[in-house]
Amino acid sequence: MTTLIQTLSNRVRNMASRSPWIYRINAGSCNGCDVECATTALIPRYDVERLGCQYCGSPRHADIVLITGPLTARVKDAVMRVYAEVPEPKVTVAVGVCPISGGIFRDGYAVHAPIDQHLPVDVNVPGCPPRPQAIIEGIAQAIAIWRERL
Amino acid sequence: MLESLYIPFAALLFPGGLFALALGLTLKGFDRRLAARLQARVGPPLAQPIYDLVKLARKRTMVPDIANEPVFLGAPLVGAVSMALAAALVPIPGFYTPDPVLGDLLVLLYLLTVPAIVLMIAGSASGSPFGAIGFSREMAMMLAYEGPLVLVVAAVAMRTGMGMGGWISFSLTDIIAYQQTHGAFLLDPVMWPALLAFLAFYPANLGIIPFDIPEAETEVLEGPLLEYSGPALGLFKIMSALKAVVVLGLGVALFYPIAPEGAAGLLVQVAKMVLLMLIGVTVVRVSYGRMRIDQAFRFFLKWPLALSVISLAFVALV
Repeated sequence: MTTLIQTLSNRVRNMASRSPWIYRINAGSCNGCDVECATTALIPRYDVERLGCQYCGSPRHADIVLITGPLTARVKDAVMRVYAEVPEPKVTVAVGVCPISGGIFRDGYAVHAPIDQHLPVDVNVPGCPPRPQAIIEGIAQAIAIWRERL
Repeated sequence: MLESLYIPFAALLFPGGLFALALGLTLKGFDRRLAARLQARVGPPLAQPIYDLVKLARKRTMVPDIANEPVFLGAPLVGAVSMALAAALVPIPGFYTPDPVLGDLLVLLYLLTVPAIVLMIAGSASGSPFGAIGFSREMAMMLAYEGPLVLVVAAVAMRTGMGMGGWISFSLTDIIAYQQTHGAFLLDPVMWPALLAFLAFYPANLGIIPFDIPEAETEVLEGPLLEYSGPALGLFKIMSALKAVVVLGLGVALFYPIAPEGAAGLLVQVAKMVLLMLIGVTVVRVSYGRMRIDQAFRFFLKWPLALSVISLAFVALV
């Protein structure tokens, strides 16, 4: 009986983990990573929809959050508020080198990087900007983490 | 005893409820797959809409502080239930004829307006400004496409009624029986303007490009759906899947209900629906960009309205 329940819940989890919806937050990025996320990772050549991914307009629909940028002082409050709007269970992917260390803005007075001091980051995708293949790899790892949380 | 069990069975299992839901989700899967192929992508698996629903069932539902909670959470339920009932009203030629106890074409038309009204209520109950914009756009779209729809249905009903020696017949059973003996309206030149008007109604009612203006993702962030998450959002997905089955089934019944008797009739119905979905919805949505609300409003009050009036005049005169 317990094994039956376990296989069933595993089944459901497998099915659910094939539908990760992606939401992008720009935390003061220079737009380089956003261009890579939005256009390159989504053009026919890379097509993340085959993994079941969908970009959504509302943080409340999201499962995987892609954060770009070094978290500037100006947008910090807004980013924290939008991040809190994403319903659990969620996974956070930091795209680009800025959320990791601040990148070229590292010592700037208006920059709050590294971003994992403020919110839990699960996957880091370094690069300035990262290649689309790297972003897809990051999303795939995020799906694996998210599956455990479902 | 059997009589009283009929209505819950029709609304919950077949042809409404579960059966219609499975069919609607499959139709959505075909739609997404073909759209991806037309854009030279691989696309999601056919069962993707089912995965989406399972996922949404496992997420948390958040209710905004300023939302009116009972209305906010009740609206999607009303929408899904009304569409499950409407699906029980759509006949499957040669296989299923709805009992007159449930209602007929006019009840179906009324039920078809419920999803739009539910979206308006949901948008305004969420308290979000984007929901309010979605509300006003949804209302404008509804005013624009309801008129042509009613005129198209009236044209079909009048053609049937006059062919049967009366004046007008709002009975789906009559409409189907008439076409099965006298030939489908799809092949009847008098009905072609009505058919075109009906094809324009599809994308507007199903909320897809070029008429997905109330839920435009890139402008109003999915409008009324913006604040929904988890199971409540899943109910809206169920509502739209059921709605696809209802309007596609209505189109088949109004224009081409020629089908063999028995189980083959069911298969033919599903095949027709998939074909209609691909031609009337998928190809349209990958071929056009989104219109502005004023353009869409003007379009509907110009072409589909004119076409349906012409069709009605043809039917009355020929």
